[in-house]
Amino acid sequence: MNKTSIIGVFDEEHALLAAVDQVKKEGIEINEIYTPYPMHEVLEAMGNKTRFTFAAFLYGFIGASSVLAFLYYTSVIDWPINYGGKPTNAFPSFIVVTIILTILTVTLASLFTFSARAAIYPGKAYILPDSRSTDDKFVIVFDKSMLKGGAEKLNALLFEKGAVEVYEKELQPQI
Amino acid sequence: MYKTEVRGPLILGDKNYRQISDDVIAPINQPIPGWWKVAFFIALLMGIFGILALYQTVVVGLGTWGVNNSVGWGWEIINFVWWIGIGHAGTAFSIFLLILRQKWRTSINRAAEAMTVVAVMCAAIFPAIHMGRVWLAFFIFPYPNTRGSLWVNFNSPLFWDFIAISAYLLISASFWYFGMVPDFATIRDKATSKIKKAVYGFFAFGWTGSSREWLRYEALSYVLGGIAAVLVVSVHSIVSTDFAVSVIPGWHTTVFPPYFVVGAIFSGFAMVMTLMIIIRKMYKFQEYVTDSHLNAIAKILIFVSLIMGTAYATEVFIGWYSGSEYEMFTFFKNRVTGDYAFQFWAMVVCNAFIPQLFWFKKVRQNLTMAFIISIFINIGMWYERFNILITSLSKDYLPSSWTTYSPTWVEIGIYVGTLGLFTMGVLLFFKYIPMIAISEVKSVLKVSTPVTNEKKHMSHE
Repeated sequence: MNKTSIIGVFDEEHALLAAVDQVKKEGIEINEIYTPYPMHEVLEAMGNKTRFTFAAFLYGFIGASSVLAFLYYTSVIDWPINYGGKPTNAFPSFIVVTIILTILTVTLASLFTFSARAAIYPGKAYILPDSRSTDDKFVIVFDKSMLKGGAEKLNALLFEKGAVEVYEKELQPQI
Repeated sequence: MYKTEVRGPLILGDKNYRQISDDVIAPINQPIPGWWKVAFFIALLMGIFGILALYQTVVVGLGTWGVNNSVGWGWEIINFVWWIGIGHAGTAFSIFLLILRQKWRTSINRAAEAMTVVAVMCAAIFPAIHMGRVWLAFFIFPYPNTRGSLWVNFNSPLFWDFIAISAYLLISASFWYFGMVPDFATIRDKATSKIKKAVYGFFAFGWTGSSREWLRYEALSYVLGGIAAVLVVSVHSIVSTDFAVSVIPGWHTTVFPPYFVVGAIFSGFAMVMTLMIIIRKMYKFQEYVTDSHLNAIAKILIFVSLIMGTAYATEVFIGWYSGSEYEMFTFFKNRVTGDYAFQFWAMVVCNAFIPQLFWFKKVRQNLTMAFIISIFINIGMWYERFNILITSLSKDYLPSSWTTYSPTWVEIGIYVGTLGLFTMGVLLFFKYIPMIAISEVKSVLKVSTPVTNEKKHMSHE
């Protein structure tokens, strides 16, 4: 079942931000905000947090220790080779490979994490309330069934803060 | 923080968001221009010549090259290092400038990253064919195998090189791609034809620009930026260890890693300048790639050129100061004077002297001059690698092994082929991919336009 959403469209980011502040003051729950570029106030206002950096650190730690373990295993345990009597555990010359492969691990794992957490992958069915939001409009979306007061009050509020359009729409996923 | 009052607006022409999308997408929607077709055809011919040369190499063998027992590394390694150097610009641009929060990068980073990916692809061809039997190139992968469970030599810079280049290619390509996802979504939502909508829609991965996506996107770009900054420094350092850990006079110096990294950034920025002048001219992007953008690149080039000059002087000084007669011979009898004096002085003039012309404001603002100087730097950087490789190898410790080297048509052909591949790659990029990062330019628009400054909010500081 698709729920009806109320969609407010803004031309200017400062108008959107003013509306977001006011809406939050009134205690109305915002479903989602769509912007053409990242806006930090919006991210803060939506209150989402990401532990991305921690995840990246973890990948780096796992990457570095497994590469070092692999190099130690191959060079010391599995097939030690005598290079002019030098120690088989040639730690300093392992550092280079470890750094590069750690970076590679962090990058690839972060990309997959991003893909999973932000739900960005090939062939995804996405919900885009107003297709102008990837171009020049700032779009705020409310769930109509979650509104306590009437929709008229919200509409009035959005227009007062500078919305250029407010309309209702049933959101459909598209491919 | 970018001070508009001091440095002028980043984007000229008082654009709004819609104009930015329309301007940047315009080349994708317009029919292919005539000059593009001509350039692509020439590049294709060059590429075919390269494929012929590669075919000759694979079918007949490395005997078709001019390399010999003394000069075991010829044009292939010169060109490999040259391409890798050019490939450093994209990452240096996007990542160092991202970390330093330089907003002027936003108009240029997409093109610089595209160039990186294509240049690294060109570079990767050379070590692969240099192995001789290119169909056995997979032997370099460290995997449990049937060759007596023998592992590769993890202490060898040649193996580090392999790891570094493949990682660099993967990372720069994915960094570039994920930067493009929001722009693909813009093209998808503005497309009028069904095919275009479907194709760009597929590549947009279902991007919508919701706060949930932007939050992770920002986090991802800072994590990747931070971690890949290390990569820029390490990849070319590793390339330099190919030389520096050997005991050949002229190679065996500790200055090599920083010298190579700086050289790479130098040639990369020069190539960025060449490319941005072409983009600006051919696609009329002068409101996005403004005079002050090119001015900033020119200033970086002066600075890096001074470092290059210092590095050349240091090398020669240490050649004398070391008291080693072999070093003395290589630098003074073989490079500064002697058989390879032309190549040495070509390097010094192109890299250390000619870019000093950028001290003059007139030269920085004259696009023709800037274009010519950027080409000179690219030539100079090629000579630098020639100098390092050929002068040291052709006359080493033992006079009986002294020899000369000149490339055969096969070696020249492979180089011409990579130039063709690079040109084709860049042309395809011009036509099918937004050349300027649309969402990033939008994010700096309000900060950079003085008229709307009072509306400015703190989000992009």
